[in-house]
Amino acid sequence: MKTIHFTLNGKRTSVDVEDNETLLHALRERLGITSVKEGCGIGECGTCTVLVDDEPHYSCLTLASKANGRDIKTVEYLSSSGVLHPLQEAFVRSGAVQCGYCTPGMLLSAYSLLLKNADPDAHDIKEAISGNLCRCTGYIQIEEAIKNAAEVCKCNSQG
Amino acid sequence: MLPKFVSVIARAKDEALSWLSSLENPKIIAGGTDLMVKMRAGKHYSHVIDVAGVPELLGVTEKDGKLFIGPATTHARLSSEGSIVRNARSLALACGLVGSPQIRNMGTIGGNLANASPAADSIPPLLVHDAVVTLESRDASRKVPLEEAIVAPYVTSIDGKELIGSIEISPLRGYREGYRRVAKRATWAISRLGVAFAIREENGMFLDAKLAIGSCTPMPFRPRKVEDLLKGAPKNEATISDAIRMTLEEIKLISGIRPSYAYKLPVLKGILEEVLRG
Ligand SMILES: Cc1cc2nc3c(=O)[nH]c(=O)nc-3n(C[C@H](O)[C@H](O)[C@H](O)COP(=O)(O)OP(=O)(O)OC[C@H]3O[C@@H](n4cnc5c(N)ncnc54)[C@H](O)[C@@H]3O)c2cc1C
Repeated sequence: MKTIHFTLNGKRTSVDVEDNETLLHALRERLGITSVKEGCGIGECGTCTVLVDDEPHYSCLTLASKANGRDIKTVEYLSSSGVLHPLQEAFVRSGAVQCGYCTPGMLLSAYSLLLKNADPDAHDIKEAISGNLCRCTGYIQIEEAIKNAAEVCKCNSQG
Repeated sequence: MLPKFVSVIARAKDEALSWLSSLENPKIIAGGTDLMVKMRAGKHYSHVIDVAGVPELLGVTEKDGKLFIGPATTHARLSSEGSIVRNARSLALACGLVGSPQIRNMGTIGGNLANASPAADSIPPLLVHDAVVTLESRDASRKVPLEEAIVAPYVTSIDGKELIGSIEISPLRGYREGYRRVAKRATWAISRLGVAFAIREENGMFLDAKLAIGSCTPMPFRPRKVEDLLKGAPKNEATISDAIRMTLEEIKLISGIRPSYAYKLPVLKGILEEVLRG
């Protein structure tokens, strides 16, 4: 066991983890963040995506000890002010959520994209979510939602 | 859950080297994108040494006309690193095609080499740039050309007590350089075929051509005879078709006939035509 210290969704957090424990396990089982899910467990489906220093990583392939000293964000961060983030609003409006299993990871990949690129084109969006599988929507609604959210975020930052 | 192991996080290269030499059954982890999958499938080590944050193993530096790449540098970083984009474009392109954004943010070039998959995307570009790896242990350091460091599919000559300290490449300027890959799906799927190339030509002549082909043979390779044929040859359809015929023959010589060649070799032919015609 070792104690790791990191920022989780903006809050300083400490937790004891096993040496052979994944970040996914620590988040779900020790910190109760069940929005981070295990799909394939081998880095192919993306439903375990978290942001490490604002970049998407697969938490199923990340040792929990690697989170020490880093900034970790899960989907809860997006609505931590109590209102849905424009991306979440756009997902709801576009029907980009069906079974919902991929949604937290999808939102985090999209959020990371918008941090780096306020005006993504269709290719940028496809590339950004290429590490997240969705077996319901066919992606069209998700891509549309991200495009729409980018427009809203641009307006917000100008206003 | 992963098999039980003790993990340590190295803060400096010396610390990693001394753990490697003193701990029992140690294994280096960088991004974990290969190793975690293997451990999940049951592979066991007593000690796992995390080198992902070791400053000496990160980033790219230029010295005496060479580029030194830290093995713990991620694919994401290499794909956009100015010195790599300018001096080793095929490598920047290949790193930008690895896996998915998540895999590129985690996976490192050192891990890609050490894993030595026949389909590793960074290896063909590194071969084109005559990469030399520095292998360090607590008491010694040696330099080995990448071509010799990989001895069989998924097997290297890196000792269990050694780590890759740096990867040295020769910049290529004035070359038309690139990387083409064919994968089952655009992302995730490991390459089914990868071609790195750097070609210098003038007044309708090939002055120099460096080619490296991945995923066709047990180890990515440079078709040297073909490169020799191209050097100084007129750039025309006759030269190009000779070069392609020789490449395909060499592949069959190395690997024998494989079922996958029925589709692979025609695709490789198409890629080489495009690449050589430029
Ligand atoms: C979903 C998925 C998709 C992938 N897609 C691709 C792809 O398209 N193309 C591709 O080429 N690869 C792909 N890979 C494989 C993998 O991501 C790469 O090989 C990656 O570069 C490995 O780097 P890492 O830092 O994660 O290695 P790790 O898993 O940390 O380590 C891999 C091996 O390298 C050793 N090692 C690491 N650093 C050093 C060092 N400095 N010195 C000595 N030994 C060291 C480790 O001990 C281990 O044996 C994919 C993997 C997954 C899970």
